[in-house]
Amino acid sequence: MAILSLKDVRKNFGETEIIRGVSLDIEPGEKHAIIGPNGAGKSTLFHLISGLFNVTSGTIEFKQNEIQNKTPYEVNRLGLARSFQVTNIFARMNVFENVRCALLWSCGYRYSFWHLLGKQHELNEKAMHVLEQIRLQDKALFPAGELAYAQQRALELGIAIASGAELIMLDEPVAGMSHSEAENAVELIRKITEGKTLIMVEHDMNIVFDVADRISVLVYGEIIATDNPENIRANPRVQEAYLGEVAVSA
Amino acid sequence: MLEVFIFATLNGLVTGLLLFMLASGLTLIFSMMGVLNFAHASFYMLGAYFAYSISQYMGFWAGLLFAPIIVGVLGAGVERYGLRRVHQLGHVAELVFTFGMAFLIEESISFFWGTDTKNYRYPDILNFPLFTLFGQEFSAYRGFMIGISIAIFIGLYYVLTRSRIGIIIQAAITHPHTVANLGHNVPLIFMGVFGVGTALAGVAGVIAGPVLTTFPGMAAVLGSIVFVIVVIGGLGSLAGAFIAALLIGLLQSYAIASDVGVPDLLNLLGLSFERSHPLNDLWTLTLPQVAPILPFLLLVLVLIFRPTGLLGKREQ
Amino acid sequence: MSMVKKLSVWIGYLVVLLILPRLFDSILAISILNQMAIGIVFALSYNMLLGQGGMLSFGHAVYFGLGGFMAVHALIMIESETAYFSILLIPLIGGAFGLIAAIFIGSFSTHKAGTVFAMISLGIGELIAASSLIFVSFFGGEAGISGDRTFGPLFFGVDFAQDLEIYYLSAVWVFIATVFMYLFTQTPSGRMANAVRDNPERAEFIGYSARRVRFISFCASGLFAGIAGGLFALNYEFITDESLNAITSGRVLLMAYIGGLGYFIGPIVGAVILTLMNSLLSNYSDLWLLYLGIMFVLTVMFLPRGFAGFIMMHQVVWLRGNLKSLILPYLITGIPAAIFTSACIALVEMSHLEEEVFHYLGLELDPSATLTWIITIAIAAGSFYATRRSVGQLSDAWESANSFPDSEDR
Repeated sequence: MAILSLKDVRKNFGETEIIRGVSLDIEPGEKHAIIGPNGAGKSTLFHLISGLFNVTSGTIEFKQNEIQNKTPYEVNRLGLARSFQVTNIFARMNVFENVRCALLWSCGYRYSFWHLLGKQHELNEKAMHVLEQIRLQDKALFPAGELAYAQQRALELGIAIASGAELIMLDEPVAGMSHSEAENAVELIRKITEGKTLIMVEHDMNIVFDVADRISVLVYGEIIATDNPENIRANPRVQEAYLGEVAVSA
Repeated sequence: MLEVFIFATLNGLVTGLLLFMLASGLTLIFSMMGVLNFAHASFYMLGAYFAYSISQYMGFWAGLLFAPIIVGVLGAGVERYGLRRVHQLGHVAELVFTFGMAFLIEESISFFWGTDTKNYRYPDILNFPLFTLFGQEFSAYRGFMIGISIAIFIGLYYVLTRSRIGIIIQAAITHPHTVANLGHNVPLIFMGVFGVGTALAGVAGVIAGPVLTTFPGMAAVLGSIVFVIVVIGGLGSLAGAFIAALLIGLLQSYAIASDVGVPDLLNLLGLSFERSHPLNDLWTLTLPQVAPILPFLLLVLVLIFRPTGLLGKREQ
Repeated sequence: MSMVKKLSVWIGYLVVLLILPRLFDSILAISILNQMAIGIVFALSYNMLLGQGGMLSFGHAVYFGLGGFMAVHALIMIESETAYFSILLIPLIGGAFGLIAAIFIGSFSTHKAGTVFAMISLGIGELIAASSLIFVSFFGGEAGISGDRTFGPLFFGVDFAQDLEIYYLSAVWVFIATVFMYLFTQTPSGRMANAVRDNPERAEFIGYSARRVRFISFCASGLFAGIAGGLFALNYEFITDESLNAITSGRVLLMAYIGGLGYFIGPIVGAVILTLMNSLLSNYSDLWLLYLGIMFVLTVMFLPRGFAGFIMMHQVVWLRGNLKSLILPYLITGIPAAIFTSACIALVEMSHLEEEVFHYLGLELDPSATLTWIITIAIAAGSFYATRRSVGQLSDAWESANSFPDSEDR
């Protein structure tokens, strides 16, 4: 049974059709990568799944719930978390608060104004644990907006995974990082998504082929192939549409 | 009945066009810089005061010419030495800064000109009835106000659509970064637009001063209504501001001229309430009474149901 | 901060509140203290919106004023014996009414933050202010309404006829309100308000509706603004439409901003400074509003985090033990700056003087003599030049005392 299932999803912006009938099934526990040239609609697809945009037509099911018209917070509460391509953190709060806020809903605090956070020891320990995972425990009280770029990306990941969501979507998690930073980040991603379902958009093919169990290739709003890495590498259509171009430029 | 209607329309037109002159500058500034200039009506007030002082020595027409220029230069200075610095601090700081400027300008005017009402009058040459209708006179000065407002509207339209600088400005409204990348000096354009926008407010002040009385509270009278217009029309839309300005001007004018109210409605429905009823104020409400709050009611409704305003595309 | 340290800060706050009228016991001082008490609660409630929740409101006086009007009505009801309770609870009535108004208005105005919210708040503010002049039976028209706080059951024999007694009552309410507003910042809703302020989009992806979070802050803020209105009603025993119009809304924005938005203590600082300026400066000069306007604009431009922010900027320097190295540079810049400011004030005042002699800083100046003007202008120009020249060494000293970037450069 698929954990996430897209059926003929379409999205128009005015006259332009950005996503033209995408169908895709993601199995529980799988690490799925979406690749494709710039402007193929990868980020738009992420926004559709995570609830930022409404679909024009088609259905998206997450754990047997139709989510295509739900708001981001409703989708998130079902157990789907995501990160962003452009760093999207709570800049004026410190690192610890960033992570703790990300934990609040899943720990059942909802909109409470009667719990004092300082006294919620279990919550605070969980937050510290996430900080250790993303190796930012030393920066706990540092304003998030003043972290170095790679650290902000790590925090971005931390916010996404903190709630313990079953499905995690990462939008270009290593974009803009140096080689060694990217290696560290991949290690981190592997560790924190253990036993969870992962969908990621990434341009770095080494990382994609290293991490993913299956890969979907999105070109001009359509998925032209979904398969395991070996078959994708060998697929002539994919090579023509995308990989060839990358091979040349690389 | 007809005469009331015609005069209400004419007066609404005068107010509406005046409001548009203020709103056009505000819209231009907002479109380019993303700043809602709270002090905009204060520049309008400065226009009236400068024109008053100039008219003491050189007559009304000199005031009409020079006061807007002085106001525009002041406006450009505020942009250059104040707003540009605050811009880096974010949106809230900018709004708060212009709010502070409004406060400061009002106090400065009290300081330099005193708090009393100034005897700023329109020239004798325009002091005659333009026409008489149903025994009521329509003054030539009001006609002049309509004329100058329309002239400015046409001029602005022409500059924005035909001239090179207008095209750059239009481009900067929608794609500020691209314009900067094309090598245009965006800060200079910003300063210029701010100067021109405030100068337009100054013109409005010069011609409104004699009719709406020149006193330190005149900015507060119009200030928030101009905001209402810019927001109702749609932030950044000149055409929207034009429609909204006329709408508000006419709406208020009709409301004031009418003599209907809740009592008439109750009579129509055959209901009556005792005078001592706790909601007596509500049962005796008349349309002229609520005229001042109509713009704000409209604003709140528009913002709830159509946050982009009538013709706006951008949502903040 | 450890528990003990926190507790001692709060006890210190309470002690200061209660001891102030012993130190300053003139009638004027008590009246100023009462205004401060009102201002502190009001400004703190405003900061819940703008500082904590990122909602810029131009109509916060609505909740203050409505709370105040309801409180005066409650006083009238106690007086006419339609209700029987102690006036100790009056602020609570104000708060309840502020809360009800906030629930109603917040239900549609908190949809967006930013300019849309600011404009709705402006519209509502103008709407309510204008309506207050129409609905005379509740708002009393331009004259307002008045009550009498000495009715109702006595509190251990105290009838609260004296301003001092009201001050102690207010002080206790200020303390309670401050504690609860602080505690609110420590709750999930309070924290999420910060998160939504920083990044409403991301907040939605961690399970929270940004609108709902804003709504809760908005309601809490309305509640405390209403409590402040209740304190106003108790202190003055009358209220007019001015309490809910744009002037009051602007004043609270000024208080919170000058004090410093990002810090919990900021609005308290702002309320104290503004009340002092309001009461003391207005005795010395008719132009105090002009000075206030200049100060406000300069604060926005040069101290974006307000006075509290300015003080907190020195925390790191202090922790590193470098504060001493800043004293001399501050003096070198500060003294000419102070001279420049006083010279400018002298010029402004002299140009506006009706008397023959201008008493200023222990001097007797003759505004009619050209020489006075020349000397004052020369002093102003000289001190301005000295200030400009010395700013460089100050910022160098600041850099070396503090390797972190200056918070203004963030």
